[in-house]
Amino acid sequence: MNDSIRNIVIVGGGTAGWLSAGVIAAKLQAKRKANYTITLIESPNIPIIGVGEGTWPTMRNTLRMMGIRETDFIKRCNVAFKQGAKFSKWVSGNEDDFYYHPLVLPQDFDRTNLADSWLSAAPGISFSNAVCFQEALCEQGLAPKQITSAEYAGISNYAYHLDAGEFSKFIQEHCVEKLGVKHILDDVIHINNSNNGDIDSLVTKNTGLLEGDLFIDCTGFKSLLLGENQAVPFKSCSDVLFADKALAVHVPYENENSPIASHTISTAQTAGWVWDIGLSTRRGVGHVYASNYINSDKAHEELLRYIGKTCAQPSSLNVREIDIKAGHREVFWKRNCVAVGLSAGFLEPLEASALLLVEISAQMIAEQMPANRQVMDIVSKRFNETFLYRWSSIIDFLKLHYMLNQRNDSQFWIDHRDPDTIPDSLKELLTLWKHKTPWHEDFVYAKEVFPAASYQYVLYGMGFKTQENHMGNSEQSRLQAQRLFKHNAQQTSKLVQTLPSNRALLQKIYQYGLQAI
Amino acid sequence: MSKYTVLSSTTHKDIKVHNTRGIQFGENVNTVPIVADELRAVSLEYPVCALKDPNTGQFGLYALTGFEAGENLFIDENGWNAIYIPMHIRRQPFLMGVRGEDQQTPDNNNTVLSIQLSHPRVTQEGGEALFEENGEASEYLKHMNQLVGKLAQGIHSTIAFIETLLSLGLLEQLKLNVTLAGDQQKSFEGFYSINENKLADLAGEELQQFHEKGYLQACHLMLASFGHIQKLITIKNSLN
Repeated sequence: MNDSIRNIVIVGGGTAGWLSAGVIAAKLQAKRKANYTITLIESPNIPIIGVGEGTWPTMRNTLRMMGIRETDFIKRCNVAFKQGAKFSKWVSGNEDDFYYHPLVLPQDFDRTNLADSWLSAAPGISFSNAVCFQEALCEQGLAPKQITSAEYAGISNYAYHLDAGEFSKFIQEHCVEKLGVKHILDDVIHINNSNNGDIDSLVTKNTGLLEGDLFIDCTGFKSLLLGENQAVPFKSCSDVLFADKALAVHVPYENENSPIASHTISTAQTAGWVWDIGLSTRRGVGHVYASNYINSDKAHEELLRYIGKTCAQPSSLNVREIDIKAGHREVFWKRNCVAVGLSAGFLEPLEASALLLVEISAQMIAEQMPANRQVMDIVSKRFNETFLYRWSSIIDFLKLHYMLNQRNDSQFWIDHRDPDTIPDSLKELLTLWKHKTPWHEDFVYAKEVFPAASYQYVLYGMGFKTQENHMGNSEQSRLQAQRLFKHNAQQTSKLVQTLPSNRALLQKIYQYGLQAI
Repeated sequence: MSKYTVLSSTTHKDIKVHNTRGIQFGENVNTVPIVADELRAVSLEYPVCALKDPNTGQFGLYALTGFEAGENLFIDENGWNAIYIPMHIRRQPFLMGVRGEDQQTPDNNNTVLSIQLSHPRVTQEGGEALFEENGEASEYLKHMNQLVGKLAQGIHSTIAFIETLLSLGLLEQLKLNVTLAGDQQKSFEGFYSINENKLADLAGEELQQFHEKGYLQACHLMLASFGHIQKLITIKNSLN
C-alpha cells in the first residue's frame, strides 16, 4: 500500500485557508520537485468572517517568502503600517491613562535588561519611552520607514493593518497564478472516513469526490472536519477571558488626507474594549464585550460614543454583530486532519494573534510535512504539544492585560483581578516577576509566541512593581543603562525628524511604489 | 523643485549666463545625476552607481563626486578638474520643458527650452549672451538647446535601462567602507551597483537582448568605474 502524503486538501477559502495554502505551497515549491498537489475547496455560499485586520511583523517574512511584492500587497489590501498597540484606560480608566506595547525591542535587548535599571533609575518617563523610540513615532503618527526603504525593510519594526476581505482575494490570486494551488468552488456535502477514522475523501455537490492524504480544516467557527467529523471537543476559556460578543463597524475618514494612526488603539470600556484599526481607506472599529456584564444596547451605546468623537454621524454606520467563543480545540491535529484559523479556536483580537497563529501553524505543517501516514502521528503529536503551549501562553498574555487593571468602576474589571480567573501558569510567572524582571530564560520553549520584551512592556506599562534586587545593581550595569537611555533619547529625536507621516508614506507608495531592493 | 520659465527672445533678450564652473553656482554636490548615454565618458573619470531619489524612491544613475553632502572633490579654485563634465552640470540653468501631462515622453513637438531665472548663473552682465541683436539665438544658446534636448532623450533611455536592471534583479546594494587619512573609517550606504554573479548568469535570449541594447557594456562600465573611489579618497586625503 502506498501511503505517501501527496495530496493536500484545504477546506475553506477565508483568510486562514488562503494564507495556509500560500505558506504551504511556497515552502513546498521551494523544496520539492513533483508528486504533490494542493487543492483548496471553498463554498460559493458561505461568507467569510474576515477575522483579524491587524498582523504581526512576522507577516512581512510570510509574504516575502510567498514571492509577493510588498507594494502590490499594500495597494491591493488597503494596507497601513502598524507599529504596535496603544492601550487606553486599561489601568485606572482615567482619560490620561495609556501605555504602549511597541514592536521594537528595548535597546540592546539581547544583552542588557533595561527593566532592571528603569525601575531604580525611574527617569520619570514611561517604560516604553525610556527603552525604545516607537511610542514617540506612534504618538506623532509617523511611518516606520521611508520611500527609499526597500520592500519589507523597516527603519523601525512594523506590522500591518489590512482589509481582510481584500487580503483573501489577493492571496487567492497569487496562490492560483504563481504557486500552483488548485481552486475548487463547491460545497462539501459529505465526508467519507476510512476504517481507521482518517478522512478519506470529500463528497462535493458538483465536482464529485475529492480525495486527499492530509486535510486542512479552515472552515471557520463551524470546524467541519476537526470539530464535527473528527469529534474533537472545544475547550472554552471564558472563565479567564470573559468577552463573548463583538460589534464591528467600518468608519470613513473625514477626508483623503486625514492622519492614519500607525498603531492599533485599544480603549477599555465598561465591560470590554474598543479596537480602532486604521487602513489606508477607512478605519475598522469594534467593541469586544462580555454580555454577562452589559447588554447589547449599552454595548452599542459605548461603541457609538467612541466613534462619535471622530465621526459626525456614527449612528448611520452599519454595525455587524458577531458571537465569539473564547477557547480552542482540545487538539488541533487528529489523524490526517489539522485545523488552522477559527476552526482551531478563537481569542479576542487584543494582541492580533489570529493571523499570527495561521502563519505559524501553516509554517509548521509545511516544515514538518509528514512523508507518509505512519509518521503523521508523530508529527501531529509534536504539532499539538507546540500549539497547546502557544495557545495557553497567548491566553496568559491576554489575561495579563486584564488582571493588572486597577479599575473599580465596573464588576467586569474587578472580576478580572479575581485569582480564581487567573491560570496557574500566569500566577507562577507573576510571582517570579515580583522579585525579578522578565528575561529571556523565563521562557523555556524555543517557539515562544511573545518575547520577554512584550511582558516587560505590558507589566511596566501597567504599573506592575518588581522589587529591586537586594543585591543592587553594579556600577558597570548602571553606566551601561545610562548610556542606552541616552542613546535611545538621541535616536528618538532623530527619527521623529526624519520619518514621514503614515499617510504621507502610503500616498507616495501609491504614486511611486517601493523598490524591491 | 526650482521654478523654470519658458525662454523668450523678447522677455529674456538681455539676460546673460555665466559659463564657468565653481561652487558659487551650486556645484558643491557629492552626486551628479547622469544619463546612460554618457556612461562611457563619465565612467572614465567618476565612480558611477545607482541611487534612490529621496522623494520618490526611484532609482537614477549618478556620478559620485564626493563622500559627504556638499563635498565635490573635483572642484577647486581652478575649476572642475575633469576632462568630461556630466550634462546635468553643463546644462544649468536650462531645462527642456515638456508641454502637456506629467511624465509625457518628450519629442520635437512638445518640448520647449526653459530657464531657471533664480539660478546664480543668470546675470545681466558678463557671461554668455543668449540672443543676438536681431533676436536670433546665439551660438551658445543653440548649443545649450541641443544639450538639454540630448539630456531629455537620455533621461528616458536611462529609465528603460534601470527598469531592465531591476526586472532582472541585477542591482544590489553596496556597502562602501573607506579608510581616510588618519585611519578614519567611514561607511556609506544607499549605493547600488551591478551584481556581478547575476550578470554572469544571464544567458540565451535574455543575454542576447541585453547585449544588443548596449546594456551589457553599460553594466561593465559601471562595475569598472567604481575603481575611481580610490581617486576620490586620495583627493580627500590631500585636502586635510
